[in-house]
This record gives sequence, structure tokens and C-alpha cells, in this order.
Amino acid sequence: MGLIPDFKQIATRSPWIYRINAGSCNGCDVEMATTALIPRYDIERLGCQYCGSPKHADIVLISGPLTVRVKDAVLRMYEEIPDPKVTVAVGVCPISGGIFRESYAVLAPIDQYIPIDVNVPGCPPRPQAIIAGVAKAIAIWRERL
Amino acid sequence: MNFLTIFARNLKQGPQTEAFPLGPAFTPDRLRGRIEFKAESCEGCRICERVCPANAIRFAKTPDGMTFDCWHNTCVFCGNCEFYCPTDAIHQTNDWDLSHVNADKFDMVEHGLIPNQTCVDCGATALNTAPMVKNAKPPLSAEEYTELRARCPKCRAKYLKNRKVPA
Ligand code: SF4
Ligand code: SF4
Ligand code: SF4
Repeated sequence: MGLIPDFKQIATRSPWIYRINAGSCNGCDVEMATTALIPRYDIERLGCQYCGSPKHADIVLISGPLTVRVKDAVLRMYEEIPDPKVTVAVGVCPISGGIFRESYAVLAPIDQYIPIDVNVPGCPPRPQAIIAGVAKAIAIWRERL
Repeated sequence: MNFLTIFARNLKQGPQTEAFPLGPAFTPDRLRGRIEFKAESCEGCRICERVCPANAIRFAKTPDGMTFDCWHNTCVFCGNCEFYCPTDAIHQTNDWDLSHVNADKFDMVEHGLIPNQTCVDCGATALNTAPMVKNAKPPLSAEEYTELRARCPKCRAKYLKNRKVPA
């Protein structure tokens, strides 16, 4: 009985991040990589770490406007992430379509297909903004766990 | 540079990691961030709406006047609107922290209203926009500006034409 609360306390310290590219121009992906991988921003101070498999993820960052071609792959990947998960839309693309809004090739806004929890607008948002968004996501994730 | 020099330099400089989110973030003054709109200096020319590549800006006519809306969730921070704005009515602040929960998605709007007014000369209803007086010679005094502003576009043109210009 006592194990589960202990486990929860430990687990909530280290959400793992997974990144889905839903047809982004790579601008947001570069910023996300910067946020996580270089010591200047160092998101590991929040306990976050990038993981290579959706099955290990807790927080998922989605960039890109969900192009028609990539939709099935993205939805399949999203299904593989275990619950409870928190979704962060990075950049204006997934939030509204941004510069690609109303194009025939994109299905944005992405929250028609995937429940989104936190939005980080910007094209691309600067690393500090992504960190702020991830911090909000961690707060939501702790409530859900 | 050998490793001792690097070691000494790192000792002196301390860690390169930014304090954010545990402390304040480094923000350059000219960072291109959230759009800000000042209705009182807007000329109502709607250039910004036309040049915006993301269609983030929308003007609409309402019974009270003309409304301005800029949706931050589709603005790409390109700065076109500020560049083409003939006045300083629209400008980019260096505020970058726009992250929000999805429920607030449609509240991320910069809203402004250019109210209607009644022209002091002809009594017509017209927008209380800032007059376009950039090229007026000599420059208008403060009183002249206020008088001009209280008129409709037609009476403004008349006012400028009949203005006594000292030789
Ligand atoms: S928000 Fe801008 S930088 Fe990010 S993927 Fe879309 S177009 Fe690229
Ligand atoms: S904000 Fe500037 S560009 Fe836009 S309508 Fe007003 S004066 Fe014109
Ligand atoms: S910065 Fe660019 S995208 Fe944003 S409102 Fe101005 S013109 Fe539109």
C-alpha cells in the first residue's frame, strides 16, 4: 500500500519528454533540441530528459501543422504513449496552422485530432518560452499522475 | 589553448547555464515578441492587415467604431506590420512568454478599438483615427492636431487646405 504513494513521489520528479514532428519546418525542432541538449538552457534541471521511444514518454512536444501525409503516423505514435500524458504544442503551427493556415496540405489546428494541454506560440518560440511551457506541462502532469 | 587555461576560465566565468526558469531570463531589448497595438495613434490605413503573412490581424467595423484584433497564436513575429505601419501604432514588444493552457487559446488576442466620433464641422460620423500629417509643412502644432483630429476625413482635407501657412 505504501509503495504506490512513494513511487508517485519519485516518478513525478522526472517526466520524460518525447518529440513528435508533425510536418514542421524544423525551426521548432531546432529550438527544442537546443532547449534540451545544450548546457545553456539545460532542461534536465527540471528533471526532464529526452527519450527515444514513445513508450517511455510522459510529456510529448508536438511541432508542425500536421500535414495530411504525416497524420496517420502521428496519431499512431500518439496512441503508443502511455497514459497519463501531457501534450505541448510548440510553435504556432500546431496551435493554429500559423503561416500555413488554411492550406490544403495541412490539417491544423492539431487539437481537432489530439487533445492538447499547453500551447507555446512563437515561430519558433525561443528556448526559454519552451521551458516555460514544459514547466506548465509538468504542473499539469503532476496533477494527473 | 591547453586544458589548464580552459579550466581557469571556466572557474572564473562560472556555469554557462541560464538561470531561467529558476531565475530571470536573458531578454534582448529588440527581441521580436508579442504584438502591441495603440489605438490612439492608428491611422486606420489597414496596411498591417494587408502585409501580415499569417493573417493574424483583422479589422472589423462595429457600431462603436473599428476594432483591431491580433491573434498571437497565429502571428509569426515577422515584424512586417511594424515595418509598414506609418505611425508607431503597432509594435513588437520583447515579451516572449506566451505559453498558456489550451483553454485560453482564443483569449490570446491583442484587442483595440478606434472609436467613432461626430465631426465638429459637418456632424458626420467618422472614425477617430490619427490624422495623416507626416508630410504637412510646417508641422502641425498640438492645438491644430487636436482640431484636425476632431473632424471627418473630408473636413480634415478642407482644414489642411485652408490652413494659413506663413510664407
Ligand atoms: S511554428 Fe514556425 S518555426 Fe515552428 S514549425 Fe511552424 S513554421 Fe516552423
Ligand atoms: S496599426 Fe499602423 S498599419 Fe495598421 S492600420 Fe493602424 S496605422 Fe495602419
Ligand atoms: S508580426 Fe508578422 S505575423 Fe505577426 S501580426 Fe505582424 S505582420 Fe502579422
